[in-house]
Amino acid sequence: MTIRTAITVNGKETSREVEARTLLVHYLREELSLTGTHVGCDTSNCGACTVLLDGEAVKSCTVLAAQVHDCNITTIEGAAQADGSFSPVQEGFRQEHGLQCGFCTPGMLVRSYRLLQENPNPTEEEIRVGISGNLCRCTGYQNIVKAVQSAARKLQEAATATA
Amino acid sequence: MEVKLDKQYPLDVDADRAWALLSDLKATAGCMPGAEILEQLSDTSYKGTVKVKVGPAVAQFGGTVDVVETNTENRTVVLRGKGADKGGSSASMDLSAAIVADPTNPAHCVLNGSAAVIVNGKFAQFGGRMMVQVSEMILGQFVENFRQTALTLPAPAGSAAGQSGAASTTASDAPKIAKEINGLAIFWQLIKGWWQGLFGSRG
Amino acid sequence: MNAPTDTAEARELALAGMGASRLRKEDARFIQGKGNYVDDLKLPGMLHMDIVRAPVAHARIKKINKEAALAMPGVHAVLTADDLKPLKLHWMPTLAGDVAAVLADEKVHFQMQEVAIVIADDRYIAADAVEAVEVEYEELPVVMDPFEALKPDAPVLREDLAGKTEGAHGKREHHNHIFTWEAGDKAAADAAFDAAPVKVSQHMYYPRVHPCPLETCGCVANFDPIRGELTTHITSQAPHVVRTVVSLLSGIPESKVRIISPDIGGGFGNKVGIYPGYVCVIVASIVLGRPVKWVEDRIENISSTAFARDYHMDGELAATSDGKILGLRVNVVADHGAFDACADPTKFPAGLFHICSGSYDVPAAHASVKGVYTNKAPGGVAYRCSFRVTEAVYLIERMVDVLAQKLGMDKAEIRAKNFIKKEQFPYTSAFGFEYDSGDYHTALQKVLDAVDYKGLRAEQAAKRADPNSPTLMGIGLVTFTEVVGAGPSKMCDILGVGMFDSCEIRVHPTGSAIARMGTITQGQGHQTTYAQIIATELGIPSEVIQVEEGDTSTAPYGLGTYGSRSTPVAGAAIALAARKIHAKAKKIAAHLLEVNEGDLDWEVDRFKVKGDDAKFKTMAEISWAAYNQPPEGLEPGLEAVHYYDPPNFTYPFGIYLCVVDIDRATGETKIRRFYALDDCGTRINPMIIEGQIHGGLTEGFAVAMGQQMPFDAQGNLMGNTLMDYFLPTAVETPKWETDFTVTPSPHHPIGAKGVAESPHVGSIPTFTSAIVDAFSHLGVTHLDMPHSSYRLWKSLREHGAAL
Repeated sequence: MTIRTAITVNGKETSREVEARTLLVHYLREELSLTGTHVGCDTSNCGACTVLLDGEAVKSCTVLAAQVHDCNITTIEGAAQADGSFSPVQEGFRQEHGLQCGFCTPGMLVRSYRLLQENPNPTEEEIRVGISGNLCRCTGYQNIVKAVQSAARKLQEAATATA
Repeated sequence: MEVKLDKQYPLDVDADRAWALLSDLKATAGCMPGAEILEQLSDTSYKGTVKVKVGPAVAQFGGTVDVVETNTENRTVVLRGKGADKGGSSASMDLSAAIVADPTNPAHCVLNGSAAVIVNGKFAQFGGRMMVQVSEMILGQFVENFRQTALTLPAPAGSAAGQSGAASTTASDAPKIAKEINGLAIFWQLIKGWWQGLFGSRG
Repeated sequence: MNAPTDTAEARELALAGMGASRLRKEDARFIQGKGNYVDDLKLPGMLHMDIVRAPVAHARIKKINKEAALAMPGVHAVLTADDLKPLKLHWMPTLAGDVAAVLADEKVHFQMQEVAIVIADDRYIAADAVEAVEVEYEELPVVMDPFEALKPDAPVLREDLAGKTEGAHGKREHHNHIFTWEAGDKAAADAAFDAAPVKVSQHMYYPRVHPCPLETCGCVANFDPIRGELTTHITSQAPHVVRTVVSLLSGIPESKVRIISPDIGGGFGNKVGIYPGYVCVIVASIVLGRPVKWVEDRIENISSTAFARDYHMDGELAATSDGKILGLRVNVVADHGAFDACADPTKFPAGLFHICSGSYDVPAAHASVKGVYTNKAPGGVAYRCSFRVTEAVYLIERMVDVLAQKLGMDKAEIRAKNFIKKEQFPYTSAFGFEYDSGDYHTALQKVLDAVDYKGLRAEQAAKRADPNSPTLMGIGLVTFTEVVGAGPSKMCDILGVGMFDSCEIRVHPTGSAIARMGTITQGQGHQTTYAQIIATELGIPSEVIQVEEGDTSTAPYGLGTYGSRSTPVAGAAIALAARKIHAKAKKIAAHLLEVNEGDLDWEVDRFKVKGDDAKFKTMAEISWAAYNQPPEGLEPGLEAVHYYDPPNFTYPFGIYLCVVDIDRATGETKIRRFYALDDCGTRINPMIIEGQIHGGLTEGFAVAMGQQMPFDAQGNLMGNTLMDYFLPTAVETPKWETDFTVTPSPHHPIGAKGVAESPHVGSIPTFTSAIVDAFSHLGVTHLDMPHSSYRLWKSLREHGAAL
């Protein structure tokens, strides 16, 4: 059984005929070839598939493409700044060595970005809780925490600068 | 994965009718929720299926039920059921059931059930942590079906049940035996049971 | 006025070479979601493969019914062992000299074993078709315990080995026995024990766990029938080995087989072996003449790919009454699962387990390991273990603690007393390992001072004196020596190929360079660290040194990345290849400057004439000259290749200390402090080293505190999803403190030893040591892992310490 969906992804409208059971993560990766979003488990535990759905961080392995008809999805491919430079979150991860194999990184970045919108000045504890839906096997999280803290500082500076 | 159950079920049915039902394997098997007897292979052996559904996941166990032992004097039966699902689960159950008359009330009895269930494959891997509760629920449904079926049997002459006339059956009274074990319904029962347990309600 | 940019210091900084914590070169693509992992690959006409797996652990296959699956639209093929038989591919050789079924051949040996494959247009149809394949099994009694497996009346697991009394590693004593391997000197060890005044023994189990990298295993095979060429993208830590094996199995010459390991989302030893899925997808592509993709899901990954450990160990130490170790004896029963597919160097069926005399001067020692078949998935060597060094270090560190407890000695004191002394290096152990260098005493003192060890012991004593203390406090100390960098080819080979490694460097006319190695990074940062080695050797900024690995058509032959061998082996090859170029560059410089080579000094990025600072040639100038003004007798160009056969392993070491507080009411453990000092010799990139340490410590935390793969009596693997298998989140993961000393390896061209597995090897016994230490005043000498809250809650009750 197929269904026509229209989903805006990273600002662009996409329209496809999909099977009702098609997962959003597969729609992104296979239909749209946006392979930055990854699959790491089959039980919604790992968070490698995290994207933004109408601004909220969700695990795209647990969302049906048909469910997000008429919605806005942002993936890691939509993370960069308008001028193509790295966002503060991306730059933070790079500066603080917050990634190694890179597989959890897109989900981690998307979630961190949203976390800092929810809580622009998080404590270390709040960061750890905030990213607890995203697993990493390589970094031990310590540098990821530093990366998020670095991004938070940068965003605060930018906010006070423009204030 | 092995689960052992040992439970006593008081029934508002007299021991004679309960035993009459219990010693009729085909009728008893018919009380097993989701079970269907397809074929009698011998005096003591039947071929059948049991369908279990948990949301979109369905397993159809096809297998056999054998009467290993029937003891009319003690009113006990020992059954062995074995089945496998083509998708990759298998289960076997050794069940001993006995009818014990209630000394205080001839219209009541107790069904003693003791079962060892071994589940293998997918259900064991993924359903493992719910196995005991699910087995208890299935047994509970079986007993309820058993009770209703027993009540439709002709009451013994002169018994309280016969005199009360409550045992007459009409088509609309026929027990509603579930055609399949609905896992979600079981799950809901489990949640309700747990919730009630939290608040100490007697249910 | 700006700081001068041409001083040696400034130029060295600009190189961002050895020792610099320079940012990683690979990050740009990952932070933009532009990594290139196997599952990202989409080729025209590509089909998808999925696998029908056995639901039970031991059974005969009575019948496989493909009809329903084949009838489904979009399904191209359903293959079973019978279909692979004519190609003789239904069984394949393993790295351990055994054979493993590719698809179950009349018999299933472990739950989730591959029984049939389905090839379809897309992964959803393939999954539907898997459900539609009907298999009839006749269940057989299962053997889930290696001790049960060795009983005389135990069921026969390997009917294919019936009558074979000789295995790949010697005599087989029983139908479920694989090998018995020994190291050391039994007579000397027995004599030491007979004479010793003090003897301790301890049984311990190192549970079966799984490396569980975030990316599962997968493969895209693409056979081009027109060219007769096979290109395969694969999650492999050893692409050249895969190429050789694929060539041997398929008959396609190696020159027409191209294996590409692209970006890999974590390996940790899970991606070393060749899995049935890979073989099947390659066969499918060859047969269908189209690309075929197979990527497993997480349940398949945990259930069927290379597990780690499952060692039942009995350790004994003999000592003097003041704690000097006189002898060590170890007996191990190793549960290998249904096939011996252990990824060890051929001559070592128990890997490098005989490093188990540890950091101590043990005069006499003997170890024996008995490998056994059970109805579990195959594997054994994986998960950052350095070939069983995790097991070895766990054994010796636990035994030293047991000895300390027996004698009432402090756990740091007994270690210092038994350490191999700095002056004793190079030191040959009772097992024959020649430890290259170490200074354990200095490192230990550094850690004890940093954490105020005396203060911690005093705090512990005070807490023990208070019956109402809400927690049990424990201090764990581990002083480990690792053995990595496999290895000298006379000792170490994989399927007959010596374990050397390689590097090829080419410097371009305009001064940048490209380099390729036989290893393959899975997150360790080779693109950065390897460039840093070359930068320092050649004076070319690491930023413009392109590092490539993983494509067997361009990279020189290597044995891959596992067992922390990249820096010790490939790192050496890199330095030596660079030095060949350096030597040629010197000749060119001498020619350009019209002096003798002996008149030249090297300074950071240039050759200077001795005593005349104004006369020099930079590497950039030399590179240009190499291509248009080579001196007489020298070829144009500036490149070199080096194959490095290491003379020895390397021996990184570490001192780890952990403080735990166990809640006496709940059994919950708080890791109050974890101090990790590592010595990996020369440090190429401190930032990357620290990242590796954090990661290894976190995986160690997971193993020690929660990971397990429990099987029930029927052989069902319970808990093979991430709902149950403990992968810590940022919340549970402790904060790590790292420190270091530097004791270079004397035999390594840059003195580097390798480090990424040390934190895993060392941390696991440290957590156990701390937990047991928390109970030691109650007479407890050992508690098996995992140290979950539930298990500790039970222990608290058992030992009367619960609140």
